[in-house]
Amino acid sequence: MPRETFERELQELKYELLILGSIVEQAVRGAVEALKLRDLDSARRIYAGDQIINEKRYEIEQNCLILIATQQPMARDLRMLAAILEVNTELERIGDYAKGICKINLMLGSEPLVKPLIDIPKMADLGLDMLHRALGAFIAGDADTARTIPNEDDQVDELYNRVYNDLLKMMFTNPEIIPRANFLIWAAHNLERLADRVTNICERTVFLATGEIIELDMAEGKVI
Amino acid sequence: MDMFLDTFLLDFQNRNSHHNFPSLIDYSVTETAEEDKTKKVSFLVPASQIDSFTPSPQDTKYKASILNFSLFYGKFQALRNISMDIMANKITAIIGPSGCGKSTLLRSLNRMNDLVPNIRIQGQILLEGENIYAPGVDIVGVRRRVGMVFQRPNPFPKSIYDNIAYGPRLYGMRRRALLDEIVERSLQQAALWDEVKDKLHHSGMALSGGQQQRLCIARALAVQPEMILMDEPASALDPVATLKIEELMQSLKSEYTIVIVTHNMQQAARVSDYTAFMMIDNPQNRTGVLVEYGPTAQVFTNPQNKQTEDYVTGRFG
Repeated sequence: MPRETFERELQELKYELLILGSIVEQAVRGAVEALKLRDLDSARRIYAGDQIINEKRYEIEQNCLILIATQQPMARDLRMLAAILEVNTELERIGDYAKGICKINLMLGSEPLVKPLIDIPKMADLGLDMLHRALGAFIAGDADTARTIPNEDDQVDELYNRVYNDLLKMMFTNPEIIPRANFLIWAAHNLERLADRVTNICERTVFLATGEIIELDMAEGKVI
Repeated sequence: MDMFLDTFLLDFQNRNSHHNFPSLIDYSVTETAEEDKTKKVSFLVPASQIDSFTPSPQDTKYKASILNFSLFYGKFQALRNISMDIMANKITAIIGPSGCGKSTLLRSLNRMNDLVPNIRIQGQILLEGENIYAPGVDIVGVRRRVGMVFQRPNPFPKSIYDNIAYGPRLYGMRRRALLDEIVERSLQQAALWDEVKDKLHHSGMALSGGQQQRLCIARALAVQPEMILMDEPASALDPVATLKIEELMQSLKSEYTIVIVTHNMQQAARVSDYTAFMMIDNPQNRTGVLVEYGPTAQVFTNPQNKQTEDYVTGRFG
């Protein structure tokens, strides 16, 4: 194995990406939990913490570019670095969803939720579980697992449709709650998008392993 | 002795008369026969191991085809069953670890290996559809149509002008005005004209290494070859001179077909349109085989063969 330096630096980069993934997971989990409990302090903390996610993302991007420039990776190594750049961006955007949910929480302020949160935390659980496994598959270059995970997006979409319809019905019967109900629709929408980004990560894993760029989004074109 | 000079002298001895090459101006690149356009690029690697590689329509013209080519130096087999097509007006790079037969294959393309004693070949190499190893083939003609540039710049100890005019004169060109024209055109094409136009009668040896190499390219261009073989043309040059040679290759490919052997994988990735990866079959035989041949972008981003992958990622070789 004559490329020990490159191997080591690539491993470090993957490790940093996993750290970013874990920070993002915690941010989303915390943001939904804070919304559910109406914990404004936590929401403020997570909102501010998005800065850490952004910085980590730039750090990984920078290290990726340095590795490309100094080590001239080829073939699978090159695909790995290109894929890390993509996944890095996806994770940062998922971090933005956590920030968005915190913002909703803060905008609701002292107002109560229009209904107890049940389906939205479920969406978060499903989406984060997908994310966790998708990142594991990415690091392992496991295209087979990556191909199956996006199928689970249907469950997230189903929950989103239910939240959407429930809140719509409530808005019809009681127009007073429209602003607050609308906030919750946005929170659910953020989590629905999270699962879509997990699909993108899975697509990058297939690319990394096979060199093929394919669409894994089974629900493509479906109107929610 | 200087390889280039060697070849020319050999050519000179083999030459029957000036009538073979009545006028340089008549040397036009002939069009490939229509049926050639339907040929597929051939690979040694079993089809099951590689995705089918269909050249785009403009790539379907072949300058040369290597068909089941094997080469022996006495009892030692240097190349085994190499089959590949060289695309016209493209740059084809041959890469692989030291001793895998890259240069031997390159030199087979203009029968430069004929200079080595005890050499024996099997198979064919077609140049524009004609086997250059067929009995009775005019080797001088082959070497005029397929020029060569070597690793170390090797200008003759003559003036810049005489270096370029050497080949045409050898082929019977005597008219001064025409020679002037050939010298200027060749130096222009080799991107050297502006640097040497005021000192054409100075010694070619007085130029810098990079300029000397461009002079050698100009010298090869002077006899209007169809294909140019480059054996590590930039390995003795500094980075700036290297990039100049690489840019020059790009500007030449509209008129010439170029085959380059290089140890520098980044160079192969930068300059070539197609890349062939060769290696030895096993440490005992040390016979060169073609492992993978395909578009350069594919070979360097998604090679189909594990050995190619290991080589281009630097994990072997």
